[in-house]
Amino acid sequence: MVDVRLENVVKEFDGVQAVKGINLHIKHGELFTLLGPSGCGKTTTLRMIAGLDYPTSGKIYFDDQEVTYLPSYERGAVLVFQNYALWPHMTVFDNVAYGLKIKKLPKDEIRKKVEWALELVKLKGFENRYPTQLSGGQQQRVAIARALVVEPKVLLLDEPLSNLDAKLRLEMRSEIRRIQRELGITVIYVTHDQEEAMAISDRIAVMNVGTVEQVGTPRDIYERPKTEFVASFMGKTNVIPAKVIAREGNRVTVEFENFRLDGLRYEGEKDDVVLVIRPERIKLHPVENAITIEGIVDLVEYYGFFTEVVGLFGERRIIARTISDKEVQGLRPTQPVKFYIDRDDIIVLPKQL
Amino acid sequence: MKVSRWSEKLFGTPIPDGVIITSFLFPLLYLVSFLVIPVFVMLATAFEYQGHISAHWFSSIFNSAYYFNPRHPDGYLAKTIIYGGKEVYHLYGLDFGVVINSILVSISVMFLTTILGTTFAFIMARYDFPGKNIMRILLFIPLLVTPFVNVVVVKKMFLPDGIINWIFYNHLHLFPKPIWIDGLIGVIVAQTITYYPIVYLNAYASFINIDPSLEEQAENLGSRGFHLFRTVTFPLALPGIMSGAILVGIFSLEDLAAPIVFQGSPIAKKLMSYQIYSSFVSGFAIGNPQMAALALVMLTLAIIMFLAVRWYVGLRQYAMLSKGGRWNPRVAKPKWWQALLIAFVVVPVLLITIFPQIGVLLLAFSKSWYGTWPSGFTLDNMKAIVTQPDIERVILNSLMYSTVAVLIIILLSLTSAYASNRFKKAKLAPIIDSLATIPIAVPGIVIAMSYFFFFSTVPPFKGSTLDPTNLLEFFPGAALILAYSIRRLPFAARSISAGLQQVHVSLEEAAMNLGAGRWKALTSVIIPMIYLNLFGGAMLSFVYCMSETSVGITLGSINSTWYPITAKMKELIIGAVGSANLAAALGVFLMAVQITAIVVANVITKQRYSFIGLT
Repeated sequence: MVDVRLENVVKEFDGVQAVKGINLHIKHGELFTLLGPSGCGKTTTLRMIAGLDYPTSGKIYFDDQEVTYLPSYERGAVLVFQNYALWPHMTVFDNVAYGLKIKKLPKDEIRKKVEWALELVKLKGFENRYPTQLSGGQQQRVAIARALVVEPKVLLLDEPLSNLDAKLRLEMRSEIRRIQRELGITVIYVTHDQEEAMAISDRIAVMNVGTVEQVGTPRDIYERPKTEFVASFMGKTNVIPAKVIAREGNRVTVEFENFRLDGLRYEGEKDDVVLVIRPERIKLHPVENAITIEGIVDLVEYYGFFTEVVGLFGERRIIARTISDKEVQGLRPTQPVKFYIDRDDIIVLPKQL
Repeated sequence: MKVSRWSEKLFGTPIPDGVIITSFLFPLLYLVSFLVIPVFVMLATAFEYQGHISAHWFSSIFNSAYYFNPRHPDGYLAKTIIYGGKEVYHLYGLDFGVVINSILVSISVMFLTTILGTTFAFIMARYDFPGKNIMRILLFIPLLVTPFVNVVVVKKMFLPDGIINWIFYNHLHLFPKPIWIDGLIGVIVAQTITYYPIVYLNAYASFINIDPSLEEQAENLGSRGFHLFRTVTFPLALPGIMSGAILVGIFSLEDLAAPIVFQGSPIAKKLMSYQIYSSFVSGFAIGNPQMAALALVMLTLAIIMFLAVRWYVGLRQYAMLSKGGRWNPRVAKPKWWQALLIAFVVVPVLLITIFPQIGVLLLAFSKSWYGTWPSGFTLDNMKAIVTQPDIERVILNSLMYSTVAVLIIILLSLTSAYASNRFKKAKLAPIIDSLATIPIAVPGIVIAMSYFFFFSTVPPFKGSTLDPTNLLEFFPGAALILAYSIRRLPFAARSISAGLQQVHVSLEEAAMNLGAGRWKALTSVIIPMIYLNLFGGAMLSFVYCMSETSVGITLGSINSTWYPITAKMKELIIGAVGSANLAAALGVFLMAVQITAIVVANVITKQRYSFIGLT
């Protein structure tokens, strides 16, 4: 179990920077997630930590040992591949035992450890099956067992749930969390699914086009996004372009369409800003310290355990979400509607995209 | 540790290990040493005249009417002559000089094999009729390689008293007078019959792989019949047909069997391959720089054809497989007139093209063959294989050379496939990939010629046992093994490369990530997953090493103790009367080896390996 540090890690492919000098510090025993859209460099970063790719420049440390150019097989950072990479010509037992055989452990010790690992992933009794005889979820468990059995310094998971169906995904998600807690192991997890990242992680690094936009706990990142990209990537949200028209200390007045909102917290320099407002923070009933905007109903969408009201404010659509059925009763398109938003729930960020 | 930029450029990884370096350097050094440099030594010889760089030898070729005579060709395509007191229609050929003759023969053979191969392929791929399975099996017969002897049979078939006239003149009265196919036309007919299966296999694969929905869509829009074939089906299959046809063109260019068998008529000798070969046979002319220049002309033509088709096919890499959906093979019952065509044209042509292999059997089990049919059943020729010391000797020689060559081929194709598939970013990867495929386009006689110059002039080979001018100590086996390993490399390399592409790179990375070194990952993950391709490729290479002709009858025929099978067969064919029967027995032996290899390969790998007929 180690601390993993990345210092100014750059990776170029054919002269194009896929990873543009990132710095990360993953603490031991932590479940750390690299989150971002496809092509953001998260898998490349993971592969560099695994030793399957080498950085063009920069350094990687496991605790105090530099491992930047240590071959994968000497590194002990074990990766669970997105496609599981189970060897089809070997049984489940042989797949899991592979790393132990490399270490030349005695036979009965190998047997014991494989048993332990298969029990951990709840696959006891499957030893003699071949990977093609297993379901997707079971294959995934074999891949995890194969990685865990060698007691890796750090476990790397590359989009481990992306090939599973929705129900299995939830199940495996908590399973991975359980195993990580049980073993207290450092895990670096790569995903493009923000919900998955939030549910599973101790901390998240949100990546975009080769850079890290923000590192923090799920709550930090959701509630206090530092950039427009992070705000818009973390779940459904309202991102409203606006202009700063007055400043007073760290409070500003902004304008969008014909609406003027005052007393918002903003410390940036740019006057072109976006207002980030989570749909569930917009109320349909008056609240304290709130700004009120008036528009008309565009759409009411019923999702079961909540309802979304899309309001039209000038040309701008804003989504509000409520769990109260009463509030949305009688709301029809083209009717006037009032949205109430607590000033502290409006995050003002410099315009980025 | 320091990252090495140059190693990233060359090998595609900043930290290459021993396995990676070996994978790049072994095939690279081997192919450069025994293919590239010998060809360049020959090139240097061809461009040197009296100590200067000069195009003298080339201009001596193109200024001589013997080699280059585009204006006033000798000979005739066909005319009626008197043969044995009877009028026969003699098909002979026009002589435009050696260089143009070779090109014309090659183009004619390409054209005829394309028609034959494409027709057979289309019928087999798209029609369902009684006896189709028998036809499928029969189509397998022309794939069997029987150097020289099948051409002997072709020659006999088309003599005035041959079986073709016996059927079509004597019995069916379809010909007004007997025909006699001879000279360059004889060469063209023999090569067409020998090589059309290559086009057939390529075309068949192409027709089978066309996504039915593409044709269905065309039908849906109102196209049908020949219009559909001309606008959709044929263009989609054309890249496959073209690569088969070009391969045939190259093989025709380098073929020695047909010119040697037909050498009784002087015009058949006026082909580039024969001219170069005869300089070996006459001995004193081997070192002739003019022949090196001629070999270069031949090589240039072959390489141009090869690159042109690669370029063309590369442009048209259609993604045939559509996503999802039903895959309904488009197989139909032939209409009545199509059925008649199949029964009365296609089947007879097929029977004619499989007759050479049957004829080889007849020849092997008979005492002599004059006139229409062989006479005097005997087992003596077959028995000679195990009793006659010189025959036994050549079989053992060939087995030995081929086995060693195949071992080298396995190493070469494993390393080159690994290097070029796994490290695509490496600057060396495309070079290695090309070097491993290019031997297909290098005529065997060119290899023989360049080895002659290379081993007889370049130290440390000069004066060694590899030097063919060092008559007393020359060991042809070594030269043959080198030549086999280069010439037959593409078969195994392609097979192994295809296998490697099926093994996702993450399977190997997972092993290394779990602590296996690259060597361990290779032996525990990759090789077990591709051993079927490895085995199939090795079998294929072995079979074609056994029947290799060009180098075998030149460098290989210098010392009779070390003859390979083909050198002996050639000696028997052009030698004493009656020995063709013994050569046919060796042909039967080679067929048996091929059938065994195919059956074993198909049974063990459970894949369909069909062999391409190469000499």
